Amino acid sequence: MSLALQTSGITKRFPGVLANDRVDFELEKGEIHALLGENGAGKSTLMNILYGLYQPDEGEISINGQRTQITSPYDAIAQGIGMVHQHFMLVPPLTVTENIMLGQESEVGWTKPLGKLSVLDRSSVANRIRELSERYALQVDPDAYIRDLPVGAQQRVEIVKALYRSADILILDEPTAVLTPQEADELFVIMRTLIEQGKSIIFITHKLREVFAVANRISVMRAGRMVGMVNPADATRQLLAEMMVGREVLLQVDKTEAKPQAVVLQVNDLCVLDDRRHMAVDGVSLEVREGEILGVAGVQGNGQTELAEALTGLRHAVEGHVTILGHDTTHATPRQVVEVGSSHVPEDRQKHGLVLSFPVRDNLVLCSYYKKPFANGIEINSVAIEQQAEELVATFDIRTPSIETSAGSLSGGNQQKVIVARELSRPFKLLIVSQPTRGLDVGSIEFIHRRIVEARDKGAAVLLISAELDEIMSLSDRIAVMYKGQILETLDVKEATREKLGLLMAGVSKEGEHV
Amino acid sequence: MSNITSVTPSNVPAKADSGREKRQGRNPFRSMADAFAMPLLAIFTAFLIGALVIFFTSWITSHNIRDSLNTVIEAYLGLFRGAFTKERGFTESLVATVPYIFLSLGLAIGFKSGLFNIGVEGQFYIGAIAVAWAGALPALRSLPAIVFLPLIILVGALGGGLWAAIPGYLKARTGAHEVITTMMMNYIAFRLVEYLISFPLKDKGSSATQTLPVADGAQIWTLSMIPAKLRDPLDALMIALVFAFIAFVIARWLFDLPAMRNRIQNTGQKRLYTFGFAALIGVLIFIGLPALSRVWWPFTDQYDRMHIGLFLAFMAAVFVWWLLWKTTLGFELRTVGANTNAARYAGMNITRNIIVAMSLSGALAGVAGAVEVLAVSSCRCMQLFFSSGYGFDSIAIALLAKNNPFGIILASFLWGSMRNGADLMELNSGVSKYIISLIQGLVLLFVAAPAIVRWIYRIKAERRPEEEAPLTHGWGGG
Repeated sequence: MSLALQTSGITKRFPGVLANDRVDFELEKGEIHALLGENGAGKSTLMNILYGLYQPDEGEISINGQRTQITSPYDAIAQGIGMVHQHFMLVPPLTVTENIMLGQESEVGWTKPLGKLSVLDRSSVANRIRELSERYALQVDPDAYIRDLPVGAQQRVEIVKALYRSADILILDEPTAVLTPQEADELFVIMRTLIEQGKSIIFITHKLREVFAVANRISVMRAGRMVGMVNPADATRQLLAEMMVGREVLLQVDKTEAKPQAVVLQVNDLCVLDDRRHMAVDGVSLEVREGEILGVAGVQGNGQTELAEALTGLRHAVEGHVTILGHDTTHATPRQVVEVGSSHVPEDRQKHGLVLSFPVRDNLVLCSYYKKPFANGIEINSVAIEQQAEELVATFDIRTPSIETSAGSLSGGNQQKVIVARELSRPFKLLIVSQPTRGLDVGSIEFIHRRIVEARDKGAAVLLISAELDEIMSLSDRIAVMYKGQILETLDVKEATREKLGLLMAGVSKEGEHV
Repeated sequence: MSNITSVTPSNVPAKADSGREKRQGRNPFRSMADAFAMPLLAIFTAFLIGALVIFFTSWITSHNIRDSLNTVIEAYLGLFRGAFTKERGFTESLVATVPYIFLSLGLAIGFKSGLFNIGVEGQFYIGAIAVAWAGALPALRSLPAIVFLPLIILVGALGGGLWAAIPGYLKARTGAHEVITTMMMNYIAFRLVEYLISFPLKDKGSSATQTLPVADGAQIWTLSMIPAKLRDPLDALMIALVFAFIAFVIARWLFDLPAMRNRIQNTGQKRLYTFGFAALIGVLIFIGLPALSRVWWPFTDQYDRMHIGLFLAFMAAVFVWWLLWKTTLGFELRTVGANTNAARYAGMNITRNIIVAMSLSGALAGVAGAVEVLAVSSCRCMQLFFSSGYGFDSIAIALLAKNNPFGIILASFLWGSMRNGADLMELNSGVSKYIISLIQGLVLLFVAAPAIVRWIYRIKAERRPEEEAPLTHGWGGG
């Protein structure tokens, strides 16, 4: 086997930060090479260097054994490197074909007295897309509009885009962060097809399970350095986690048996519509007691988002009742739901959870700015706000240069910690957490999980909504599985197995029938 | 996380980082330079390009480099003389600055709340006509200034505020975009005001198409009027109360400084000092100022239109700063402006906040209109041709100042001076005064697209995500 790509001694400095420190990396032809590391370990910097977005301060890159320089993304594409970014670079109102030809438009032109006239040659591009899509089993419809496609399909468009530009080396930057477990599995199949056809893939991730599922080799980065390279056969999850974090990590949360007390949250026959006015939550009933964690499992898009929004007052319920601590909050506003004693870690931290342009200290009082001691009458008490911010940054280990730093410039893990700190620092009896660790690194996940269990042990009722089965299984005391807006079954954690939950998530109920 | 933000390793010791940031934060000169550098470079570049345009337009006709250079120098010298050094030049610039300050403050409140209130010009008109109407009401004629002035300014604020509340309500309830609705409201306002001046509110005794002059008590004083006015104890009391209030604000601010915060812990004591200081200043002014003005008063030119509305504008700037950054309402407005979803999640009432933001924005525009009628107009009334264009200029000012109330004062002064100096420039050099619009347009262009300025002067961009450019919110469509 020969090397498709090799870097040696890549060093990249940013003001005050050594982002890459003498990084050696190699990619063989026809392999999937996983690059593991926590947020900020330097993976993205390395990939941006390979994609020509940054120039290394030191070090060398060679492609197919030839030493080379990559001066720009155009250059990278010309040398056969394609990148699929974590946040897709697609234009929603355009079709798949138009998106793929963007920047490399083919034209049918003819010369006329008035000058050269040309029109976009959509059909030949569309044909080529069909061809590529068939060859690599990608299932992309060239005429579909991007805005109509689910996330998984959009990602396939990104892959086709790279293949259309004849990429031999594909860089997938955290491709599974936005996918459901099922979509991730589909992606892995595609990745295998791609390497069978002779492509090489760099697969960036921080999810341990995934590297075992697809990777041929695994490289681990930490704090800008390459820590080591292992074969999946020789590695364990524990080992990889320790390599990533640099210390021993608890993958399983230590927790004692739940001692459920009085009912805090009571939901009866709740029905909620989604944005397209379809029934998203269809007659859900559940209860959560003091001192227990009820996990709601399910593939993303089965009504969990709408359920959480209805419970927290962000979405109107069309039928049914929600009672929190004896107060009817079915039609309450978000403020009223908070006032009866609930805290809410929202699913989308950048959309709902934070004001990215505000400093950390203001984000930490986003839900309590109007209360004493943060406000005196109509005036804001900046002293109290700063004091609380300093305290929370310390206790919740939020890594930020200062409390004045804008939330948008923190890493995802630290952004999530800001939200968790804010929500857990208020007095609450009910905690609703949605996807609390999506896209986070091992260290942050461990930290946030511990805090959730702590909240339970202090007597809070916790409703945990997550698409990560591992998370649901390690945190919950009881597990409710949601499918197409309904709760199929609620299991005790002791009787729940991965297989059982997986079947329920796919809509197969106890009797072995599809619902 | 995006690729760019993740270059800072979370594993880097946090302490080293925080030290660096704190040092930056503690050096006020550095952050001042940061805030001023880009606008100043934008202004400088705009004037430079303006000079090139003047040079080439002159060169096309004269084909003489020396003459063309002279034209450039004449033009800018004329602009400078007209704005500052000719008789009453400087004070006239200040007179033009006042409406700019109020209007751009109004725009800034809108921008900060995610609203692009392009209708300040119309709200300015409505504020002006409301004041012209109320100020001339026979029932109120004999009110003393101490009652009438606050009342009439409130009328102006209400006029502009209610006018702006309509598009605010439409936006909050139906999602109608405020850029469209306020622009339509502008035309309604212009025609409505024309009708009101021409018919119901017309001064029948005057040959010109204008409203009745407002009562004495409703007029905002020019500086030369002050000694005569202060002979009336009620008027002196009004001024004393204003100064006492300013003293109160200053004292509160002083006690809130970190250095003072720890020295006096007792809130009762603090309150005593604050009120004591305010009362002291009030009494001093009440007794001292009338006496002083009789003995010595520097502003004797009765044709000088410089008026005390300027101080009102300064107070408005402080008020807006306090409102946006020191109150819970301001926190809500800014949150709604920066991220509506997060504001909803945090339990804020979006509908209410949008209406409040539009009303406040319009109220400030209304006050600008009030001041124009009560202090600047020669007839102390509203005339049919009350053309201003102040409102549209103010959009550029608010952007140049990045919605900072104190920056707005400076930028308004720049705009006011240019507006005032343009006539002499045209007279002196023959260069059309509309070159001013070109320069102002260029300033706006460079401020809106800082990448151009950075490219010209090879300044490296700092990757510090600040609060986003205000324009992008207004056009969000949501």
